[in-house]
Amino acid sequence: MERKKQEGTLRSGKLGKFPTLLLLMILGLLTLHGNAQSLSVSGTITDGDSGEPLVGVTVILKGTFRGVTSDIDGRYSIEVDGPSDTLTFSYIGYAPQDVLVGNQTELDVSMKSAVNELNELVVVGYGEQKKKNLTGSVVSVGGEAIAQTNIQDPISVLQGRAAGVQVVSNSGAPGGGMSIQVRGSSSLNAGNGPLYVVDGVPIESSTMSSLNGTENFGLNPLADINPKDIASIEVLKDAASTAIYGSRAANGVVMITTKRGQEGKAQLNVEFSTGVSEVTRTLDVLNASQYRQVILDAYANMANPVEPTWALIDSLSPRNNGDVDWQNEVYHKARQHQIDVSVRGGSKNMKYAWSSSYLDQDGIILNSNYKRITSRLNVDFNMSEHVRAGQSISFTHGINNRINAAGSGNLSVVRELLIRPPTYSMYLPDGSLNGYQFGKRNPVGLAELATHLNTSNRIIGNQYLEFDIVEDLKFRSNLNLDVITMDEDEFVPSTLDYREGYNTGSVRATNNITWGNENYFSFQKTFGGSHNLGAIAGMSFQKWSYRRTGLDGMYFSSDKIRTLNGAGTISNQEVNVASAHSMLSYFGRVSYDYKGKYLFEANMRADGSSRFGKDQRFGYFPSASVGWRFSEEAVFSGLSFLDDAKLRFSAGQTGNEAIGNYTSQGEFVVGTNYLDYSGAAPSVMPNSGLTWETTTQYDAGLDLSLLRNRVILNADVYLKVTDDLLYNVPIPRTTGFSYITQNIGSIENKGVEFFVSTKNLVNEFKWNTSFNISTNKNKVKDLPDELLTNGYIQNGSFHILQEGMPIGTFYGWKFEGVYSRDEDNVNGVTNGALGPVYQGGDPIWDDLNGDHIIDEDDRQVIGNAQADFFGGITNDFSYKNFTLSVFFQFTYGNEIYSEINHQRNSVVRYNNLSTAALNRWREQGDVTDFPRPVFDDPLQSDSRVQSRWIEDGSYIKLKNVNLSYSVPSVLINRVGLSTMTAYVNATNLVTWTKYTGYDPDVNSHSGLRMGIDEGSYPQSRTVIVGLKFGF
Amino acid sequence: MKKLIQIYLGVLTLTMVSCEILDEEPVSSFSAQGFYQTASDAQAGVYGIYDGLQSTLSRNFAFWGEGRGDAVNTSHSGDPLALMQNNLNTTLNSASWNTLYETISRANYAIKYVPQVFNGESENGQQLLGQARALRALCYFYAVRVWGDVPLVTEPYESIDQDIFIEKTDRELVLDQVVEDLLFASENCRATFGGERDRILFTQGGADALLTHVYMWRHEYALAIETADRVLNNSLYSLVTISEWSSIFTTGLSRETIFEIGYNETQTNFLRVLYALGSDSDYFPSEDFMDSFEEGDERQTLIYDVTLEQPRQIWKFFGKGFSDESADPSQNNIVLLRLADIMLLKAEAHANLIETDASNVDEALSLLNTIRTRAGLDELTQSDAETLYGDIESAILHERSIELSYEGHRWFDLVRNNKAVEVMGPLNGLSDELNLVWPIHQDAINRNPNLLQNDFYR
Repeated sequence: MERKKQEGTLRSGKLGKFPTLLLLMILGLLTLHGNAQSLSVSGTITDGDSGEPLVGVTVILKGTFRGVTSDIDGRYSIEVDGPSDTLTFSYIGYAPQDVLVGNQTELDVSMKSAVNELNELVVVGYGEQKKKNLTGSVVSVGGEAIAQTNIQDPISVLQGRAAGVQVVSNSGAPGGGMSIQVRGSSSLNAGNGPLYVVDGVPIESSTMSSLNGTENFGLNPLADINPKDIASIEVLKDAASTAIYGSRAANGVVMITTKRGQEGKAQLNVEFSTGVSEVTRTLDVLNASQYRQVILDAYANMANPVEPTWALIDSLSPRNNGDVDWQNEVYHKARQHQIDVSVRGGSKNMKYAWSSSYLDQDGIILNSNYKRITSRLNVDFNMSEHVRAGQSISFTHGINNRINAAGSGNLSVVRELLIRPPTYSMYLPDGSLNGYQFGKRNPVGLAELATHLNTSNRIIGNQYLEFDIVEDLKFRSNLNLDVITMDEDEFVPSTLDYREGYNTGSVRATNNITWGNENYFSFQKTFGGSHNLGAIAGMSFQKWSYRRTGLDGMYFSSDKIRTLNGAGTISNQEVNVASAHSMLSYFGRVSYDYKGKYLFEANMRADGSSRFGKDQRFGYFPSASVGWRFSEEAVFSGLSFLDDAKLRFSAGQTGNEAIGNYTSQGEFVVGTNYLDYSGAAPSVMPNSGLTWETTTQYDAGLDLSLLRNRVILNADVYLKVTDDLLYNVPIPRTTGFSYITQNIGSIENKGVEFFVSTKNLVNEFKWNTSFNISTNKNKVKDLPDELLTNGYIQNGSFHILQEGMPIGTFYGWKFEGVYSRDEDNVNGVTNGALGPVYQGGDPIWDDLNGDHIIDEDDRQVIGNAQADFFGGITNDFSYKNFTLSVFFQFTYGNEIYSEINHQRNSVVRYNNLSTAALNRWREQGDVTDFPRPVFDDPLQSDSRVQSRWIEDGSYIKLKNVNLSYSVPSVLINRVGLSTMTAYVNATNLVTWTKYTGYDPDVNSHSGLRMGIDEGSYPQSRTVIVGLKFGF
Repeated sequence: MKKLIQIYLGVLTLTMVSCEILDEEPVSSFSAQGFYQTASDAQAGVYGIYDGLQSTLSRNFAFWGEGRGDAVNTSHSGDPLALMQNNLNTTLNSASWNTLYETISRANYAIKYVPQVFNGESENGQQLLGQARALRALCYFYAVRVWGDVPLVTEPYESIDQDIFIEKTDRELVLDQVVEDLLFASENCRATFGGERDRILFTQGGADALLTHVYMWRHEYALAIETADRVLNNSLYSLVTISEWSSIFTTGLSRETIFEIGYNETQTNFLRVLYALGSDSDYFPSEDFMDSFEEGDERQTLIYDVTLEQPRQIWKFFGKGFSDESADPSQNNIVLLRLADIMLLKAEAHANLIETDASNVDEALSLLNTIRTRAGLDELTQSDAETLYGDIESAILHERSIELSYEGHRWFDLVRNNKAVEVMGPLNGLSDELNLVWPIHQDAINRNPNLLQNDFYR
């Protein structure tokens, strides 16, 4: 008791010095070695499995900042004050150990690997759990895996690394968006993304961007979180683990935990990296002479041929004498730099983790660039023996100089660089840019002269206060805030237009604030030595408010003044909009286990949302799970290879409330003005009966740990049924509305997930492998008959929803080749009942109903965007000071509707074509699969949604390779460094695929319209080199 | 410590009781129940219908009224070419009635709720109701002329319990509703607002003019003459001189206009895209049209550039000498109803009644010649008309084709006079009366199983 007090004083003394200390650390001048010493302890630190010495293990005299690290032989030596002192040994990937010094002067320590440590804690909703006691399905990706990558956002980390989690890129641009699905699509249009919880706080995860055309999926709001700050990411998948988040959890929950300070000496880490990116591949396009010939063919093939527009192809005109592959002009080698600084440490009563990061990343398209500054401070205090408090606050400033890459308009760079004719010259004789011509803009001009600037600031903060009411009963209160402000500027100068002085500009200022308060009690007690009982009960309130102010203008007096004060005309009425949404919830959990052998848990959440009709406001989401660690049974104790084995089952319900804030009430919009007279008009048809989507999920899992933890296996099977789907049901336009939001039908997802990690070699040369593979079978189970006009619901242009078929089913005409000769059309098949007869060179469509008429009735299922299985494999090697990590990621069985390939194989609008057009049908008897090009094609073949543009999207990708070398500590200790690591990292090195577009990892739209490639910003191959210093 | 806990528990309980925190009303829009509460709501609701009309007709007035006629030529694929070549298909933009029915829906909301707002027969309420009904009538009149039989919706949709999959109604029944609406409007609309609103909003004169068109379409000539007379006697309207003729379109709001749809630099239309945009506009004058002018017609040079062998633009709406490269927004008002149109309709009515009463010859010729002399042409006698054009009706039809060129009348004039097959057959093979209507857009068919495609397009 006496001693404790003494220590307390000592510590508070050190606390007092803290500000000076922090300053010292920030300046990187920290050298806090011991003062007066009396005793020296030394020893060797070895790996518990292999007996090999461990280099760089941190040894700290507990309760002080005094510390050393082990050398290349695993040897350490440290001064201690007396025999009652404790030494803490810690090393990444190993469980920390406390050892009492006693009377020994030689103290050898064997470190146990933490990777297989089943006592490892896993973050779950409102708490943590030992991995061995988990009864739900949770997948965890640790900070070490993240450190092996060059990834700038937390979602990409999960790609291929978490079983059951499917991640697809929306855009390869820096800071670009991702689509993520946990155990399949369980919603039709109410959003399929999971809930993100950072350090216990739900955050906003939808994009705030409202400009840049269809590229609004191209921004990733999670990029505001620096992956280097992340200690672990857990994905909660089954109902047992997600139900505590109720109505927002149907698509899974991603729990991001940031690094916090540990008791002990301050550790200052500095990391620099720099690298280069390039486009992963370029696509073949026609050159000028090949293009001219196609255009002449297309004119000649017209039903009523007209004189070609010579202005288009005349090689003597300075506008048309080019021979340009626009890809070479627009893609370039892009550089990137990153600096990260962090200081982490603490005393018993105060722990801190401070970090800052600066990223400057160019995109592979000219003039695209992303800069990000992040800064974070996490602190935890013990205010007294029974009161704890803390705060996490992060600030992110992002400047994204974007490109309008995807999308259907001629302002899209990727589209224009593929289909702008090669004949168009880059510059005119007077040196000015050769801009707009026949509907095509200059992609170099679009990239360099147009402005698409996105500037965002984000603060995510949360505070907690926790106290022990009595022993075993705690109360905790969280207050959290997530503030996003985003400014967007867009400008298209008149040099890109054909009209003199015609330029357009837009600004948007968006402000999104989410705040919440959570209060809960938690209880944990062991009765009679073997009955462990735990409980949680609490409430939460959260409110979201959104405000956007915007202006559009045109006829700016000059292209140089791009702010809206220069606009000749303000053209947008939508100046200022605001909306809000709130949620009130109550939740509880009871868990019980007997000797850690029989495990039981039940959760319940009640959510009330302002989005639903008054009568439907509250939803209730229960779950229950059981686990049996049969390795604890006497029967199995004889199996020496079996370390731990657990069977688990769970069942429960979660919900989805992701619809418009006011949809149930119906809506009249203002701003439907007639000249200067203010107008209003109905825009949303009311449906007061709207309620949650409810997902019922069953999960069975097996967790095995074998051969002294050298093999770990996890397997899960699940069945997930979502009912009361929220869907914008298309209704006849004669109602005045295009859809009404209704609760309809159900979707089923079922699947198997398998994960295995092995330690293949554990000696001096180490080799670990971890592999995961998942399948998910998605099926629309039920749709109400009265909504099915032709047995299905048309979903956008390319997809349908049909009972028994998965979401992402492509529907259209089946392309079966090209008529070689006129007489090959033996049945005289016509285009429509009255349309022309198909001739040689025209496409052969599958005449489904055999009526010799190609019409709407011949449409059929032509593909499916769902993958059969997907996963990843990581091999980590280490030898002495070298480590190598090689990560492959794969997807199999999904199909892509390549709208961009459609564009680049169609002469409509004088597009340039792919080199596939060199095989086009030219004369009777030609056997090919490329139809003759025709202008004003009376068959309208080009406008059909067709199987011709569907391609296999399967791929295996060498996604990440990381080689690092740690400089031996003896070499660097004398310059004040404790660690120094150099590394080389490569991303997207090789992709094996049949897909003919830029990259099969593509999804131009989020949600339901999956598997469409409209020419998103391409992926890049990146190589970086970096240096890490630890002080 | 105890105190801290008590405070926290207190806060917790406080938050727990207030369930009304879940009531969130829209901030920047109205909930369906929250609108149509006040007179200004009613006014805004009616302006919302005009807003719908602005977009409905911004391009379609030409696709529907000119696209299938003989005055235009095009090299533009999509709607222009398909219409000109009589190769209509179910995915044409002009086959879509989406915006038309959206406008009708706005009108139906107003027609239901405006009387409730005013709680009885206030003059302001009645005139707003009159405008709403006139606008609904205009929409259905287009619908019948474009598709024939169409679904007739006269109530707003406010609940999923209403029948949303409705079938087509016989065109004559739809026109009965149109006439009923217009009779109400003719009685209850304001005679005049004073100022620009007299031309851009529906007045009694506007309702009468539209009613004249509907009666003519139904070949009810006596009724058409009666309503046309009301327009001709309306002091708001008089013919402009030929020197002001261009300004009917270029500056708008002329004294000759009865109803025009207003546009401005932010609420733009497609006039430029249709008639004068670079070398790439939808339409330019057809050879037949250019050849059909009589010598000395002063309107010819106001309509297109006669110095070019093949002009690539129509400058009638923008002014003589207009540069098609101009960056000006397409913001001229679209004139839907004007006095010359109604006078020629009345002439046509008289011409059709010649067999019942010979005095109609003089009536018809007098109206026709008023328009001709303004254009610097000689007056026609009955025999002149017969020599030049075959009969008086044809002379009037030709006069309409010049005077009202590109204003969205030609195709409907041909159909109404039963001349569509005769005139267009040699040009594009039109031969079947069932082909005179458009197909119903595939999207509409897909959305409504009870909707049958028009016979010709099945």
